[in-house]
Order: sequence, then structure tokens, then C-alpha cells
Amino acid sequence: MKSSKGTVLGLLLVCLAFVAVPTAAQAKPTITISGSTTVAPLATQLAKGYLKSKAGRNKVQFKILQGGSDIGVADVSRGRVTLGMSSRIPKPSDPGGIVFNEIAKDALCIATHESNKIAGMTQGQVQDVFSGAVRDWSDVPGSSKNGTVNVVIRTAASGTQDAFDKIYMAPKKTFSGASQKASNGLIEQQLERDPLAIGYLSLAFQKGVHILNYQGVPCNLRAAKSGQYPGTRPLFLVSRGALSGPAKRWVDWIRNNKQALNIAATAWVPFK
Amino acid sequence: MDERYLGVFDESKDPSKKADPTNQRVELMLGALASLILVFILGMVIFVFLKGLPSFTGNGISWFGAGGNVDEQLTGIFNSPAEPADYVYEIGAFPLLWSTFVISFLAVVISTVVAVFASIFIVEFAPRQLEKILEPVVKLLAAIPSVIYGLIGILVLVPWISNNLISEEMRESVRYVIQLDGTSILAGVVILTVMILPIMIAIITDSLRQVPRMWREGALALGVNRYRALTTVSLRAIRPAIVAAAVLASARALGEAIMLAMVTGSIGFAPNPFDGFLFFLEPSRPLGATIVDAKEGLSVEPFGETMYAFAAILIISTAFLSFAGWAARRSLARYSIGSAK
Amino acid sequence: MSSAAAKRRKAAVRQSRRNAGPPKKIKAKGIWSIGDRIGVVVAWVSGLLLCIIAASITLFMGWKGIQYVTWDVVSNSPVASLEQAKTGGFLDPIIGTLLLTILGGLIATPVGVAVALWLTEYGRPSPLARFVEAGVEVIAGTPSIVLAIFGLLIYQQGFMAPFSFTAVGGEVFGRSFFAAGAAMSLIALPFVVGGTREGLNSIPKHIREASYALGKDKASTIRRVLLPSARRGIATGSTLGIARIAGDTAVVVVLLGASLQISPEGTIPGLDVLRGTGSTLTSYVFVNSPAGEGNAPEKAYAAAFVLLMIVIVLNLVVSRLTKKGQHVWG
Repeated sequence: MKSSKGTVLGLLLVCLAFVAVPTAAQAKPTITISGSTTVAPLATQLAKGYLKSKAGRNKVQFKILQGGSDIGVADVSRGRVTLGMSSRIPKPSDPGGIVFNEIAKDALCIATHESNKIAGMTQGQVQDVFSGAVRDWSDVPGSSKNGTVNVVIRTAASGTQDAFDKIYMAPKKTFSGASQKASNGLIEQQLERDPLAIGYLSLAFQKGVHILNYQGVPCNLRAAKSGQYPGTRPLFLVSRGALSGPAKRWVDWIRNNKQALNIAATAWVPFK
Repeated sequence: MDERYLGVFDESKDPSKKADPTNQRVELMLGALASLILVFILGMVIFVFLKGLPSFTGNGISWFGAGGNVDEQLTGIFNSPAEPADYVYEIGAFPLLWSTFVISFLAVVISTVVAVFASIFIVEFAPRQLEKILEPVVKLLAAIPSVIYGLIGILVLVPWISNNLISEEMRESVRYVIQLDGTSILAGVVILTVMILPIMIAIITDSLRQVPRMWREGALALGVNRYRALTTVSLRAIRPAIVAAAVLASARALGEAIMLAMVTGSIGFAPNPFDGFLFFLEPSRPLGATIVDAKEGLSVEPFGETMYAFAAILIISTAFLSFAGWAARRSLARYSIGSAK
Repeated sequence: MSSAAAKRRKAAVRQSRRNAGPPKKIKAKGIWSIGDRIGVVVAWVSGLLLCIIAASITLFMGWKGIQYVTWDVVSNSPVASLEQAKTGGFLDPIIGTLLLTILGGLIATPVGVAVALWLTEYGRPSPLARFVEAGVEVIAGTPSIVLAIFGLLIYQQGFMAPFSFTAVGGEVFGRSFFAAGAAMSLIALPFVVGGTREGLNSIPKHIREASYALGKDKASTIRRVLLPSARRGIATGSTLGIARIAGDTAVVVVLLGASLQISPEGTIPGLDVLRGTGSTLTSYVFVNSPAGEGNAPEKAYAAAFVLLMIVIVLNLVVSRLTKKGQHVWG
């Protein structure tokens, strides 16, 4: 037992020695990204595009985690990740020293079940419904339904929820009893199966639900690009201090390279 | 002749007590390792408490109160300014504590009753083949990971509750306060009961089988029927084991986080028992589920400290339960064949 | 006895007979009151309910599993995407589960065996032994989410940097296979300790005494006689612990980082995977269910089915081990 214990200990020490050797001599730098679930698909596609492109091939590695815009901002401000993804604009309570770099724009659409074909809502009506002041569909103009309104929103850490609060709701607050979902996909799922539900979705999620006009403007890519649709919000990659190194090169590529702009244009409003 | 072989054992020549360096070294090493584990555990408990302390001191007794919307308070804590002096700690954790208590208590009570009757069935009334099947079945149920229970809950039970048990009138009656979508206390209690049932059944059947046959046969000889013999003799004899099983099950129920995070609604809402049946259909969020939901935000100082405060409460509760169970078993031990452990 | 005393006695008996009222009917053997009948019915109902629940869970998971488990899904890596059809498979989570259970088991088994050995064979001073026992019970009773955030606390300290990675800003990330594996070993520890203790306790005293009589000292008795005989108990304990690890989600979700694919960290092959992040079947199921961000319930079912199979197989191993019949100590 003792001799085998000795060899095991020896092996462990050897392993630890290897690990302790500084790994600064890495082949490729890693860009770690965490944050918004809205920006994550965009960031994933942009990362894939970058690795395929001439500028980025074999230059970097990407590690993308999610969690919500607030988590991304907190992580990057404490230096745990290289870049944070945020789908909300900076708040005064954000930690100091971080820079929000815009990479694209997104629009938030109000959506309901397919059978609930409301043509559109004004800001006042949206505020009434989402703040819980109006709780029955019969009190909502344009709706043919009766029954309790099921308000579906995003969780508190979500930048999309933040953006929704700022763009649509301010100064009112969202209904505290609303159902909270962790991603666009889950809101879409709820809207697809509940005829009495209402919620908001990112521009890319238009299948299977009924999208409302907001302030008379339809919610689509064209209106968002032209600036007509009032419910647009920027998407950011947050960095600690000014961008530098491989992260800067990637963000520059996103903002200027034609391929990158095409990738963004599939479901978002590209930077240029 | 050497006295050893005559049955008189010379203590000083006992090889197991040889004061030789190898023996002592081994004992010391093993003892050190065991003590290290102990130190580690103590360290863990103390660490968690220390980390959670600012949340308690920042609130005083109102930490346990019900002032304000817990979710808003948690968001406020999460968004605290970056300066340590400006950290926000305000929270009234009562809705979370209430939810934890209600769900665990109901689950343990129901599970104890069902487990006792199921054990009676297994030990006494089940046909031979059924008994043989039931043993591995119970083990199987105990082995299913909690996330699978959660998955079945959220994809089967919750929609079923939403479609069949929640009517439009119910939604109307609480519409200004909360939305009912199927994630509820009922879903949590039902699945939690199923999760802790196997533990209790295993312990109780084991103990029932250990009751000396003579005791039951004595009762049967006096003219008592099988069921009554079992309940009045064996069940009373294994009361410490039932208590032990209930304590184990409660610890499991308190600590269940993932499954409850999936089916109880993720809203920090304290359901009102005066709502009648609606009480069971309202969403809420126990402590463990709160920590799971908050896992990504732990790096924000005050928020993390609040979560560690919740963890501290959980540790205290499980420790208290263990102690209460030990005390209960000791007082019952006089009347029985002994505890299950 | 005087006649007065006898008279008093008779009077007393007569009085007690009068007080007792009409003779009570003696229940004939086997007569069941209504309460007892109800009790039996409830017992039957509970037992059958148990069967029904177990059967429905297994059948349901089996049916869903067969629907959604395909070779594609088991052999491809997961990909983040908006549509369920494009989210790839769950190969990385499967590898993650296996990696984590092996790591946790490897750490828990030697430590658990050592602690159990000390408790049964030595155990001096006795208060310390009681405390160690209580400590192991505390770990057994602690919720895994608490163990997880405690692990986070430790692994995010600066000196633990070799076990995960250091991010650009100088902060230790604190989440990696190492971190999760160490926390998982805590979960498995009580099982290993319990199993080993049972194995050791079931070895009769005379075996030990025979060994001492032959002149072996305690240390070599343990090494050569007791441990090999306790192998079954140790194996049972470790397998139970490993099964528990395979099914745990809370530790994974907090301590493994949240990357879908296994992302190694560093350049040493093997160790870089351990220092990196990844996911397991449990966190994959959680994230893809309606509770997480993935919204791919079909993949969740498929992964849950695979997970269930792994756990069932592990438990079958345990029952084979314990069923092989108790070793006959001659």
C-alpha cells in the first residue's frame, strides 16, 4: 500500500507541476463572452463567420456563455470575461470603467397568439396591459377575446426586459405578477399555445405568432432599418476599458466587413 | 510453555497494539485525513455563514419579514452600485421561507402517510411476485435524477394542471395579483412526494422486517387480525425508524433545488392559505430554487452574499432537523427495538 | 382464611362484576373492524399507486426517448441556435457526464475508504470519531446547491487558479471540471464511507484475530486482509455515490461553466479539458427544458432518456454486487 501510495503521490505531483507551468504560451488567445441570450445567437454566428474569414482564420478561439445582459455586464466589469453581451443601454448603476460597443440593432415586437389578431397598439395601451392596469381582454380595444390577460415577459436579469421597460413602459413598471421566461424562444412557445397571452419578442421571432403594429408602424426589418419603428434598441459588446487586441480586431470586423454585415442582416439591423 | 497458547493473553504482546512506528504512522495519517475532512466541513459551514452575514446584518430582523416584493428587492440588490459602501442589501425573505416551509412540510407529511401504508402493503399484503417486483421498483424511483422529475413535471404535470385544474374564474379572481399558469405549489408537492417516497419506504420496510416475529405472532395468537397486529405492534415498535425516515426525507425535501426551480414558478410570491384551493395553484419559489435561479449573478457582491445567507438558512434547517430527529429517536428508543440506523 | 375475610372477598368480586356491566363480546379471531378494512384498502391502493407511478415514469421516458434518441443526436456536439432542429446533438454533455462521474469517484473513493477505515479500525480519541461521523452526516444532509456555491467560493480564490483559468481581467473564473469534480466528490463521500463501513463491519472479529495471531500488525492486516474482503462494500458505496453524481444538476449548473461544448483551457492534453468548462446531460436537460434558455424539449427528452439509462445501469451494477451473496466466513 505504501509503495503504491508513493507512486500515486508522485504522479499527482508531476501533474500539478505541469499545470502550474504558466500557460501564457498558448497557441491562440481566447475571447470569452458572456451575457445576453438575445445577442448570443448573433455573436455565435459572427464568431463562426470570423473564424471562416481571412481576417480571423486560426487567430482566436471563442467561448460563448449566456445568462442575461446584467450577468454579462457584471462579469466583464470584474474581468471574468473578455467581452460582455448586452441588449440594453448603459444604466447609471452600471459599474465604472466599461465601454458599450454597439454592433447591431434589434427591434422588439409586441406579439400575441395567432387567433388574437389585434391590429396594433399605442404606447398608452401597451403600458396599460403590461403594467397590469388592464387585466381583461374585453377592455383591450381591437381584441375579440374575453378573459384574463396573461402577460409574458423576460426575467429580471435580461437586457431585453430592460430595453422593453425603457422603450415601452417608462415611467410605468411591468406587472409584478407576470410570467417570466428566460429566453425569446420560451416567450414564443408560450404565445404559440396560450390564446390569451401577450408578450414581446425580438425581431427574429416572427413565426407562429401574431405581431402587432406599434404606434401605427409595423414591426419588420425594413421599418427597423429605416428608423421608423420606434421600438428599436442597440445590441452591444461590452468591454472593460477601450477595446484592444483580438477583441478589437473582431469588433472592427463586425462593424466594417461586408460578410459580417450580411450575417447581421439576416435577422437584425446591421451596424452599417 | 508460552502463556499465549493457554488463553491468557499478554496485552503487552498484542500485535495490533504494537507501538511500532508503522502502526502509529498509519493511524496518524488516517486520523489526520479524517480530521481534515472534519475541518473542511466546519470550514464550509463557517465560510458560508460569514459570507452571508452582511445580508443579515444589513437587514436585522426584517430579513425574515414580508415587506415588499422579494423579486424587486433581489433585482435592487443585483443592481447595487459598485461601491462597497453603497451596496444594497434590503430584503424581506418571508415569501421564500414560507414557500420552502409549505412545500417541504406538505411533501413530508403526505409522503410519510403514503410510505407507511405502502410499506404495510409490501411487508404484509403483497403477493410474492409483486413483492419481488416492488423492491427494485423502489430502488429505481430513488435513483431517478431530480432533473428528470423536473422535466416530466414541467412538460406533463404543469400543462395538465393549467388546463384541467385552473379555470378562468380562478384566474380572474387573482388577476391583479398573480398569474396562474400551472407552475404551482401543487406541482412541486406532488413531484417532491414522489421523490422522497422511496427513501422512506426503503427505511420503513427494512425496519418492519426487523421486528421480531414473536411479537407479531403473539398479537395474532390473541385473536387480532393481520393488519391490526402490524399496526399496533410493529409500527409502534419502529417509531424511531419512522422518525428517522421522516427526518431524512425532510432534509432531502429542503435541499431539493433543481426540480422545484422547474415546476414551482420562479416568482417570489407568498401564496395565501386563505385563498382556499387556489393556495395550491399559486406559483412561488423556495430557497433552493432561488439560489439556482440566481446562480449566474453570484459574482455581484451583495447579491452573492444574499444567496449565501439563503444557503446558511438551509444549512441551519437541515442541522436542526437532524438534531430534532436524533432527540425524537432517543426518546422513542425506550419503547422499541431501536432506530433504523 | 377467616370466614369474614372470605365473605369480604366474595363481596368484592360480586361488586366488581356488577361494575363491569354486561360481559364484553370477545372478538373472534380474524374479525375485521371497518377501520381495519379501510386500512387494508389504503395499503393496497398505496402499493399499487407506487407501481403505477414507477411504471408510468419509466414507460413515458422510454416512449419519449425512443421517439427522439437518434444516432445523430448522440454523436454530434451541441450548437447554439434559434431553431431546435439546428441545435446539434449532445455528445459533449455525455462526455461531460462520464468525465465528471469518474473524476468525482476517483477523488471520493480513496478519501472515503480512508475515513471509514479510521472510524472502524481506530477511532481514537472517541469524541473526534463522533465528530467525524457527525461531519459526514452533515455533508450527506447538505443540499447539493449549497455544496455547489460553497465550491464556487473556494475555487474563485486566487490560489485556485491552476484548477480553472484566469480571465483577462485577472479574476479566477472558478468554474471547471476540476471544481465540479471536487464538489461532486463531496456528494459521493457519505456513500463511500457508509458502504466501506458496512463492508468492514461485516468482517467477523475472528478474521482479524487470526491475522494478529499470525503475527501481522494492524497496518498490514488492514492492507492485506480487511480491505480486500471489504471490496464489495467499497464497490457498493462508490457505485451508489457515482450514480448520485451522475444525477446531480445543481453542482454542474453552478460549477461547470455554461459552455455547451467542452472547451479546454491551456495546452496540456487531458488536463486542459479538466481545467476547461463544459456541460453534462443533467445541465443539458435543464437548459433545454422550458425552465432554461434552450427551448428544445425534444432534445431534452432524448438526453433525459440517455441519462436515465446510465443511472439505471449503475444501479443494476450495485444490486448485482450486493446480491452475489454474502461471503461465507468459515
